[in-house]
Amino acid sequence: MDNKQIQDRVKKVIANVLKTDVSTISDDANFIFDLGADSMQSMELIAAFEEEFDIEMDEDKALEVQTVSDAVTFISGYFNK
Amino acid sequence: MANSAALQQKNLEKIFYPESLAVVGANKVRGTVPADIIFSILKTDFQGIVYPVSPRERFISGIKCHKYIADIVDPVDLAILVFPSSVCHLALEQCGEKGIKSVIIISAGFKEIGGIGLEREKQIKEIADKYDMSFIGPNCLGVINTDPRALLNASFARKMPEEGSIAFLSQSGALCTAVLDYAQAKHIGFSKFVSFGNKADISEIDLLYYLRDDPKTKVILVYLEEISDGPGLMKAAREIISESAKPILALKSGRTMEGASAAASHTGSLAGSDEIVDAAFEQAGIIRCDNIEEMFNIAIAMTYQSLPANNRVAIITNAGGPGVLTTDAAIHEGLQLARFSEETTDIFKKSLPKTANIKNPVDVIGDARADRYHVAVANAMKDENVDGVFVILTPQSMTDIEKIAEEICMVSGHYDKPLYASFMGEADVAAGIDILQRHKIPHYILPESMSKSFARAYQFKQRIGSEMTKAVKFDDVDREKVQSILKTARKNKRKYLPEGEAVEVLKAYGFPIPPGVMVKSEEEAVKMAEKIGFPVVMKVVSDEIVHKFDVKGVVLNIRSAKQTREAYLSIHKNVTEKMPEATVTGIYVAKMVPAGEEVILGVKRDPSFGPVIMFGLGGIFVEIFRDVNFRVAPVDQQTAEEMIINTKSSGMLTGARSRTPRDIATIRTCIQRLSQLAVECPQIKELDINPMIVLDENQGCFVADAKIML
Repeated sequence: MDNKQIQDRVKKVIANVLKTDVSTISDDANFIFDLGADSMQSMELIAAFEEEFDIEMDEDKALEVQTVSDAVTFISGYFNK
Repeated sequence: MANSAALQQKNLEKIFYPESLAVVGANKVRGTVPADIIFSILKTDFQGIVYPVSPRERFISGIKCHKYIADIVDPVDLAILVFPSSVCHLALEQCGEKGIKSVIIISAGFKEIGGIGLEREKQIKEIADKYDMSFIGPNCLGVINTDPRALLNASFARKMPEEGSIAFLSQSGALCTAVLDYAQAKHIGFSKFVSFGNKADISEIDLLYYLRDDPKTKVILVYLEEISDGPGLMKAAREIISESAKPILALKSGRTMEGASAAASHTGSLAGSDEIVDAAFEQAGIIRCDNIEEMFNIAIAMTYQSLPANNRVAIITNAGGPGVLTTDAAIHEGLQLARFSEETTDIFKKSLPKTANIKNPVDVIGDARADRYHVAVANAMKDENVDGVFVILTPQSMTDIEKIAEEICMVSGHYDKPLYASFMGEADVAAGIDILQRHKIPHYILPESMSKSFARAYQFKQRIGSEMTKAVKFDDVDREKVQSILKTARKNKRKYLPEGEAVEVLKAYGFPIPPGVMVKSEEEAVKMAEKIGFPVVMKVVSDEIVHKFDVKGVVLNIRSAKQTREAYLSIHKNVTEKMPEATVTGIYVAKMVPAGEEVILGVKRDPSFGPVIMFGLGGIFVEIFRDVNFRVAPVDQQTAEEMIINTKSSGMLTGARSRTPRDIATIRTCIQRLSQLAVECPQIKELDINPMIVLDENQGCFVADAKIML
């Protein structure tokens, strides 16, 4: 899976959780600052990524994932381990 | 570069009086901080424009939301950040780009959580400095300004307080809400109310200077958890009190002795951080309070009523017992019972019942109603021998409590003298107390609180009338010599100076030192003792021995060559027995100082306030009696005098009970010289001169023993 594919799926997950249009999500959008997620939704996003990609995200590292690009980097890193 | 004080003041004006503000990170989920902040602002009829900024909401309470700060077309004076701490830097950067200079950061998750929080706090401070922005917080409750020109409640406190003349600054946000609730019940109003949280940018000092120039503020209250710039706080307080005559009352938490017990010197072990805060506040004129209640008790006295011209009080009561209790409390606080003029006494004789006590405390008798209270209170207020009136009431079956309360309010309005009241009880007197509080008559449940408040107001009045003096700088000191001794000691990684060097340091700063020399043999000891002249003292000199008495390393009153030899040998023997690991460098032989009073002088370096000077009753029992006083250096002549006079044992020096008065003038000079040494030599961590022997008046004093820790 290349980064573009990961990014598309990440955006889809975000759009679904935050109930927003995929086209409004930029490549480096911040979940809170740009997309208006609250702290609960930030956690929901992490859980949704785990489900979508069938991965497990360490809690401390997951907290560092705050943007679309952070999520893509983290997930691609996970698969390339 | 950090913002200048002038810029900070300019930006603060926009924090309190913004014409437009943006709540950045707002939402409309009631019960959350972002929502409560914006609803607080809207609810209190804020006199400017409000812009909610929210990435998700389209509108809040009918007001259009902007996705980003940059989307707001018009200029914005103030931004209130309520985003989670992880993205605050992004919002702050945008505020900077937008040209916003004043910010309140409500969000938590910074320095107070450590680790990443510290980095975040550093980051927001850097952004603020880059754009010349000033911010309050982070980790705070917000700001309230009750001035009708602003009507700003930029906080998540439940209610906007009443308008008043008291400004409240707090490092703790949670305490703010409790204080607002407490004040509301007592009809205490505020001019400004600020929770300043982690004070990463705007500090209590900046806020104090702002309030100095705020025409709506008469009294300033501060709650502090830690003091990061002690000298800055003292300077600000002194300037504010002398320039604006506004009292500053402070509550400083952490009255513990931490850090004091492990100290190597007497001064170190006596000077706990709290004693130093006490001393610094007193020196700066800050009134330190023990609790919130005491703080407001004093604050209302100073806000509602004029300051007492002197300390003579009249007590008017309808019951004997409470009158006596109030008298005791007043005397305990250093107040005097006023002696009524003949005219007042005559009026009381004619107007009050025969059974009434017309002398102070005036007992108007249990059946007194409003008319009798009026006569007593009005005439006491009119009397030139009275500086303030305490009105006491106990609820008896015939007491018309509310009417008496109204009468007191009316009389108080006619005179420019303080009048305080104590309606004793709770349920029956509640309506009367409410009337008093609404009419700004300071009310106290206990006579002790009433007397204490009056005393503090009187002391403040005295302070604003006194002139500030500057510390003297002595030119006859040999600073180079001291620096060279300290430099060598540091080079050799020594933790303290042996007596010979400690004495040299003090000598270079003009302290009177008895002649002495270090010797290394029995023969040399005898030779030098004869040269100095008997009687002499001999003390061990060793890098490892700080407390010479503990190892029997001191012999006093040596009067012959034979005794000198014996002393030399016994010191070596004692030290070998008690502390075999210590290397003895030599024995110090010095002239025995004539008998006198033993005092202690000391220095300790405090992390918040810098060098602190100690003076007190000296000798080996100094830690038992703890009769010592502290002041932050530099110490001026007047402060040095206070340090001496304020010890409990000062009578031993001033000549109490037919004792010979001692040379206080020389002690005063020594305190000032020590203060200069402490300021000019920051390498000195702790210093003890114990004892310093004080001789009779005009005879001087001598340093008998000294220790210097590095």
